[in-house]
Formats: sequence, structure tokens, C-alpha cells
Amino acid sequence: MFFLRLFRWFSLRNLRTHWGRALVVLLGIALGAAVFTSVRLAVHASLSSFVRSMDFFAGTAQKVLVRPGGYLPEGVLPVLLGHPAVKDFSPLLTTYVRRSDVPGDSFLMIGIDPLLDQAFRKWRISGDRDQATERWLDLIREPYTLILTEPLARELQIASGARLKLDHTRNSAEFRVAGILMPEGLALVEGGRVALTDIATFQEFTGLYGLLDRIDLTFKPKATPQDIEDLARKLPAELELRSPSAARDSGTAMIRAYQLNLSVLSFASLFVGMFLVYSLVALNVAARRRELAVLRSLGASPRTLFMLFLCEGMLFGAGGWMLAIPLSSLLVKYLLHGVSQTISTLFVRVQVEGLVLSPLEIAISLGVTLLTAAGAALQPAREAMGVPPKEAMEISQAGVRRGHSVRRLALWALGCILAGIPLSLLPGVAGVPLPGYLAILLLFIGFALLSPWMLERLGQRLAPLLRRYAGIPAYLAGRYLRDCGARTAISVGALITAVALFTALVVMIHSFRHTVELWVRQTVSGDLFVTTKMGQVNRFRFAIPETIVAGLKQMDVGADYVQSRRYQMNYGDFPYEFEAMGMETFLSHGGFVWLKGDPQETRLRLTQGEGVLISEVFATRTGLGIGDVFRTQIEGSSIELPVVGIIRDYRTDGGVVFYSWKHFKERFHDPQWSGVRFFFKDRASEVGGRVSALRNAIIQRWGDALDMVSGKDLRESVLRIFDETFAITTVLLLIALAVAALGITTTLTVMVLERSRQLSTLYAVGGSFRQIRAMIFWEASFLVAAGEVAGLACGFILSYLLVYVINRQSFGWTFLYVVDWGALAFSLPLIILTALAAAVPAVRMVFRAPPAALLRER
Amino acid sequence: MPSTPLNEPIIHAANLTRVYPLGDGSVVGINQVNLNVAPGELVVLKGNSGSGKSTLLSLLAGLDRPTSGDLSVAGNNLSNSHGMDLTRFRREVVGMVFQSFNLLPTLNVLENVSLPALLADKDAEETRRKALELLDWLGLKNRRDHHPDQLSGGEMQRTAIARALINDPALILADEPTGNLDSRNGMTVIDLLGQLNRTFKRTVVIATHSDLADALATRHIRIRDGAITDPSCDG
Repeated sequence: MFFLRLFRWFSLRNLRTHWGRALVVLLGIALGAAVFTSVRLAVHASLSSFVRSMDFFAGTAQKVLVRPGGYLPEGVLPVLLGHPAVKDFSPLLTTYVRRSDVPGDSFLMIGIDPLLDQAFRKWRISGDRDQATERWLDLIREPYTLILTEPLARELQIASGARLKLDHTRNSAEFRVAGILMPEGLALVEGGRVALTDIATFQEFTGLYGLLDRIDLTFKPKATPQDIEDLARKLPAELELRSPSAARDSGTAMIRAYQLNLSVLSFASLFVGMFLVYSLVALNVAARRRELAVLRSLGASPRTLFMLFLCEGMLFGAGGWMLAIPLSSLLVKYLLHGVSQTISTLFVRVQVEGLVLSPLEIAISLGVTLLTAAGAALQPAREAMGVPPKEAMEISQAGVRRGHSVRRLALWALGCILAGIPLSLLPGVAGVPLPGYLAILLLFIGFALLSPWMLERLGQRLAPLLRRYAGIPAYLAGRYLRDCGARTAISVGALITAVALFTALVVMIHSFRHTVELWVRQTVSGDLFVTTKMGQVNRFRFAIPETIVAGLKQMDVGADYVQSRRYQMNYGDFPYEFEAMGMETFLSHGGFVWLKGDPQETRLRLTQGEGVLISEVFATRTGLGIGDVFRTQIEGSSIELPVVGIIRDYRTDGGVVFYSWKHFKERFHDPQWSGVRFFFKDRASEVGGRVSALRNAIIQRWGDALDMVSGKDLRESVLRIFDETFAITTVLLLIALAVAALGITTTLTVMVLERSRQLSTLYAVGGSFRQIRAMIFWEASFLVAAGEVAGLACGFILSYLLVYVINRQSFGWTFLYVVDWGALAFSLPLIILTALAAAVPAVRMVFRAPPAALLRER
Repeated sequence: MPSTPLNEPIIHAANLTRVYPLGDGSVVGINQVNLNVAPGELVVLKGNSGSGKSTLLSLLAGLDRPTSGDLSVAGNNLSNSHGMDLTRFRREVVGMVFQSFNLLPTLNVLENVSLPALLADKDAEETRRKALELLDWLGLKNRRDHHPDQLSGGEMQRTAIARALINDPALILADEPTGNLDSRNGMTVIDLLGQLNRTFKRTVVIATHSDLADALATRHIRIRDGAITDPSCDG
């Protein structure tokens, strides 16, 4: 109780007196906490939406029967029906459809057996009991009926009983809306954008007669693992019994990896904010040493003093966090859309229906903010503990000249930076690059600790030159910074952190974009891409009808074609894409971004069907390398082929395996076309007109049965998605820089306030206001220059870690390391100007109190 | 800078008043002070804490400006001076010595002494030569590369005196120069100020509680509640 009173008397009143400084620090922490909280909440909303969607979709199934890369034949149902271990089963089909007559987004159509599915998934039709039963029966007995969720009905502007025409890859048909789903269970899948129909209608609509996506199974309570193995043996060899949570778990793992990466990035702002807390608490300790000594002489224990300053730091944390709440609520609205779109583009499709205020996420945000602030206050609080009571009797005479630990700190710094090297070589823990992040943290700490030595060197080396060429204010600034010790240097650490992050992310994003551009130019080459209608959203599962394929082959437009078939597969628990493509023609027009293997030799082996080409992501995730054997089962064919090369590919973080179409057809089975791309042979003249002509010819012949996109548009859209993905990163980065600018303001203000007596002496011995202000400005320039140079060096090391360690361990890919000198040359001077602008409040603070008063003895 | 003719006072104050605003009210630093000091005098200014000694010294040093009244130091009208005029005045006319020395901790002894000359854009080599001469005279030549935290109190105050002399000021103002020193070092500092007055003919004003300077003073002034009670008392 007494402590609280003392805290109020000693700390709160002091903060109230110097409310301006306290406000800057609170604002810095609030910005950091707001970014951290809103990023976590936004990813959490996507994650919980995804998990909820997958859970509702999985229902009570204990196992799921699938045929990798293809559809299950219905003929397998009698095996299940007759097996003693099977309790219930439910066949299922899904696809994305869209309304024909009104443009809009596609939504998920689920085909179920309404009777069998009751045992697996929760879904009810709205209305009273009789009405619901009647509508349920309509679904079974009346073909082309469906049930919509309420949000979807609202979006499509359609009511129960009305009719709507739907488009699918192979067909268009009119459906009657038999009823509306209650908002529970299956109705909540995909953010409520779901329609249910009878499986027979589904098969007829999509042309998948006698075929299924999967069959969900539950087993009798007495069924043993041996019984389940027995069932597996009795099923055709190409079928697999999988865990229903496999897709959810792999998707969750990907989103969690993304969440961790964004959390770390967003923590940067909070980390930079930590320097602000440190600066102010350290100032309070330094400026109030005599008061602390008086408290000690009156009986306060060192622990009490320690707690006073620790609580002061935590107060900044708590206050900043509370200020962050309104900021977060604004920021999260922006992030929610961007994050869910990025997750949908890169990992798994998510539909976020709204923000979920998770108590755990709120607790994490508060905890991290408090711990960060307390961590920042720890060292100054320890310094306060060491103030001896006898200082109450002493008169400060010479002032503190310098810390004597500069060299020791430099050695620690070197140790931290060097310790990062072995850490960065360690593999991630459960797919999370923890050692890599630790290496980054050590890098930041190392450079922050190195800055006192750097400033000392800078001051020492530059002082004579400055005196000669820049005058006495610059000289005095250099001398001050030489001796300023760790405190100022720690504040420089804030700028180093922000500049390093900026540099690293500029390099990483540019490298990534440069490599993606290269990939897009080579691997996504082609003049016109043709797929089945809605082929992209249905992940190319449906083949182009044979009649259309025959027609496409015969089109005489002076173009080569490269047909392909993509299969969504799993390698163990790891999802990937297998693509059979017309390799020879493709390699004559486009190519791959080679990573490992001799390109000449690999091309030859690929075109001769001697092996598969795997993407870097696939290699990283599965551990497969050149010479290893890739094994899988596709549509009943057992495939066993050596890996002949590794390439860079960024279409998905799931990885890709390429194989020659011709040889797939010869050795295994006819894979059917899921897409084709055309390359015009004559490259001398402009191809845009010919692409339009080809597109028109296809539309004229087959109407809207096919989706088409010009190669130019496709490549541009890939790069646009890339830029949108990194828009979030850019926002987070700018906020970190803003917090660093606040750090510069605080640091310089602290420097001015701490030395008000020295500045007054300068005034008394003949220094003009202009000279003294120039000196402060020079100090700011040195701090910013040192922060920028060290930040740049730290940033290049960090960029290397991001490209070759963090990205590889998080997403499985790396990029060609390319530095965007232009962007750096343009941005870094801007940062310098911003940081110098942040010095203005400090310069204005000089001589707020009259020099005569400051020189008077206490 | 105007200079002072020999027959005119170096310090002339008439009805000099300094009032500090404090909250809703105000505090009187000095009130209606009238004072004339002739060139070459050594004036000891005495009074209790808060009597107005330091306020008067701040005004004389050009660190502060009077609320009302006239103040002229070495021919410079400080009542109407602003900005750069005051800066030039502090550089060229006065040298200040403080109770707590106020040396800059990041500069060594030689640099601290040279500082006022360098701030005044004087030639660096000439400044160095003169600073070394002063340090030699004050017995600090072997300490020239030391920083203030490596000096004793007496050495720090002698450095401060050297700094006050580097620009050849006509007037030396010392605010409690012995307040932080033991009696031996205190006596040394007072002797130096006495030498400056007697040998180098500088006008010296010392504000102090102590009696150490009494014997050297050509004049004593007692100040109480912001007013001079005895302007012509002889030591």
C-alpha cells in the first residue's frame, strides 16, 4: 500500500509534470502495440474462420476415403456397406459455381446424400418443423433443387422458392431454391457462402456420373485398428484412408507460420518502442539521482527504487496498450481484408466473416506489451538500485564524462553478431524458424551494443576535421557524442533497428519480386492461357471436354500449344501440385528458373521423360534432392521417377512437381487436358492483336465453355497480387520508422534536458543561441548518420537471413539476392530528413528555462 | 564593443529591478538597485541566500535582462541589448566563474579553456598559445589533457578562471567561487582573483558568503531582500 502511495508521489507526479515526454513514449508504445495487436487479431480471424470452416466441413468423420489426384468410383460403396467395422458413411462432392445471369464471386456447392449425411454434419433448414421437413424432402425428390445459406441468399438477392441459373465448368443449369439453411454447422463453412444440393443432382450438373470426391466414414465403437487396416486392404489399391483433420492441420500450420512471420514483423514496432521507454526511464533515473539518494537516506530499500522504475516502465506499457485499443480497431479493419486475401492467395482459401475478439490474443498482446516495456525499464531500474544514500550530501561537480564500458560492450556486440551465424544454420523447430529469429534478435542487440563504440570512433576521428571544416558547434557535438556512452547509443539502436528492417525488407521484397518476375517471364510464359470455365477456382480438377480438345488442336493460328494437367496431391501430409505438361514445346518457348542441376542435361532428361523436376519448396519440405526417387499414386497409376532437377517456383507455397506430358501418357495414362497455353511462333510482329483474334475465335466456337487470359494479363496479375501481398509489410515498416522517429525526438530531448546546465554554461561563456542550436542539430545529424550507416550494415545481414534462412524455413523458398540500390538511394535520404525533422522539438527545447536560472546552484 | 573611459564607472546601474513571474504572482530578485563600480575595483558582494546576489551577477553577465531600470557595463547598455549583442558582450566583456565550476565534461582542460575564444571565432593557434600561457600561470599546464572528472575541485576552479580570462575580459564575475572548495583551495582561488585585480588591473566582482575575499576587497556591498543596504561600506 505504501509502495503505491510512493509510486503516486514519486513517479506519477513526475510524469504528470513532464507530460509531453511521457506522451511521446506512450504514443510510440501505442503504435507498436496497435500494430502487433491488429496483425495478430487479423490473422487470428482468418485462422479461426479457416479452422471453424474445416471442422464444420469434417463433421464427425473419423476417416476420409479419397483417390489421390482423381475421383472415387461409387462402386466402392458396397465394400463399405458390407464391412463390419464401418458404422456410417457419407459420400461427398464439392465444386465452386457462380450465378450465370448476374456477375459475382463463385461460391461453394456441396453435394451430399441428405439421408446419409445427417450422421456426419450439422445442418438444418429454417422454418417450422413441417416446412423444414417438406423442404428437406424436396431436396431428395426434386432434381435441381438446392438450399442456400441466409448470407448467400441475401448476396444473390434470391428468396426461398425462387429459381437461379448456375454456371459450372462443364454446364449451366437452373436450380430452385428449396430452402434456407439455419446459421449453424455446415452453413458456417467458407464464411457462409455455401449451397447444398443432392449428390445425384450434383453429379448430373457436373457430369461426374458415378464419381465422388470423398467418402466420410465413422467406425463402430468396437472397431479396432486391425479392423480399419482390414478395410483398407479390401479397398482398391489406389484409394487412401486419410485423417479428416489432415487438410485442416496442414492449412493451420501454414497460416500459423504466416502469423508468426507477421507477428515478428509487427513486433518490430514494439521493439523500437522499447527504446523509447528505455530512454525516458533512464533519463528519469539520471535526472533524479539526488532524489533517489534522498529516498535511500530516508530508509527506502534498493528494491523499492528498482520497483519504482520497473513499475514506471510497466505503466508506459499498460498506458500505451490502452491507447493502442482505438488505434488497433482502425488498423485491423485495413489488415483484415489484406491478410485474408494474402492467405487465400498463398496458402488456403479463407472467407473471413468478421473479427473474432479472442481473449487469448488480447492477453498475448497485453502480456507482450507489458513485458517489452518492463524489459526496457529493467536496466535503468537496476541503475536506480545502485544510487548510494551519500549522494544526497554531494554536489555534482564535473558531471559524467563517459562510460568506461564501451570496449566491453563492443566485445559483447561482436559476440552477439557472431553467435547469429551458427544459429542461422540450424534447422527450424517444427517448421518454425526459431533459431533464425533468435539470430535476428542477436543481430539487433549486437548492433545496438556496437553503437557506443561506433559513436566514440566517429566522434574521435571526425572531431579534428569538424573543427576545421564545420566550425565549433560541429566539433562540440562530435566530442559530446564521443563520450556520451551507452544511453545515447541505445537510442541510436532504435534507429538502427528501423533502418535495418527497412533495408532488409527493401532488399528482400526487391529480390523476391525480381525472382518472381523472372519466374513469371520464363515459367508463366505463353501468349494465351486457356482452362475450363472456373478452372482456376476449382483448381483445375475438371478436364476440358474431348471435343473441345480436338478442336483446339486443329486450330491453325500459327501458334504452338502446350497442354497441361494439374493434380492437387499430398506427399505425406504435405500438399503439392503435380503438373504433366508438354515439356518439349514448353522448353522451346519458355523455361524454368533453375536452382540445382545442370540446365542443359536436365532439359534433355526432362524431354526424354527420364525424371521429374521439383520445385525448391517441394525439395525443402520433403527432403528430396536430385537423384532421389519421387513416388506417388495418381488416378490409379503408381508413379516412381527420379528427381532430375530443382527449380524456383512461386505459384503456391505447397511446391510443384513437373513431368513430361508425352511420357506420362505413354507410361501411365492419358491425363486429359485441364489447360493449354498458346505460343505464337512469329515473335517479330506484335502479338496482342493475334491473341485477341484467337480468343474471339475460341469464344465464337465454344461460347463461354472456357476461361481465357492473355499471358500478358496473367503475368501482370501475378505481379499485382505480389505487390498487394507486400502492401501490409510496407505499412508495418512505415509504422516502425515512425516509432523510430519518435525515438530520435525522445533521445535528443533527453540529451538537451540532461545537459541544460552545460548548454547554459556554453551560453554564459559566449556561445550564441544559434551556435548551441547548431550543435544540437549536429548531434542529431551524427546520431542519424551513425544509425543509418549501422542500420544499413545490419540491414544487409538481416536481408541475407530473411532471404536464405527465414523464408526457406517458413515457406520453403529462397530468391535471387538482388539489391534495389535505386530504392535505397531514394529512401535513405528521406529517412535522414525525417529523423532530422524529429530533432526539431529538441532544438526548440533549448533554453526553455533561462540560462541564468539553470546556472544557479540548487 | 564600446570601451569605458577611465573616469567613467565600468558598471552603472540605476533603479535596476528584476522581477520573476511565479504562478499567479511574482518574486522580486532585485529591486531599485543603484550601483556604480569604477574600473580596477574588486567588489565583494555579500548577502544571505536568496538576497539577490546571483540575480545581480546574472544581469551584470548579460545572462538575464532587467525588468526595469538602466544597466550599463563597460559602455554597453544591457537594458536594451538583445540576441547577438548580448552574445558578443558575454564573449568580449565579461568572464564568469561559477560555484560549481561548470566545466564541460566532454572537453579536456585545454579545450575547456579555449572554448570561449573558439566560440568567438578567434584564431585556433593563437587561442591555443594563450590558453597554454594561462594554464602555465595557473599551474595547470601538466593537466591540460585531463578531463574535468580527473581534476580536484581547486584544479577545476582554476581551469574555470583560465576559461574566464581567455578573451581578455574587462570584468570578472565570480559567483560563490569558493563555495565548493576547501579552505586551502578557496584561498588559492581568492588570491588568483586578487592578482587579476591588482596585477592585471581587471575589475572583479565576487558574490560570496565567505570572508576569504574580505581582505582583498576595495569595496564591500551588502545586499538584502534584493536591495543594496550599504553600497559604500569599506573593507
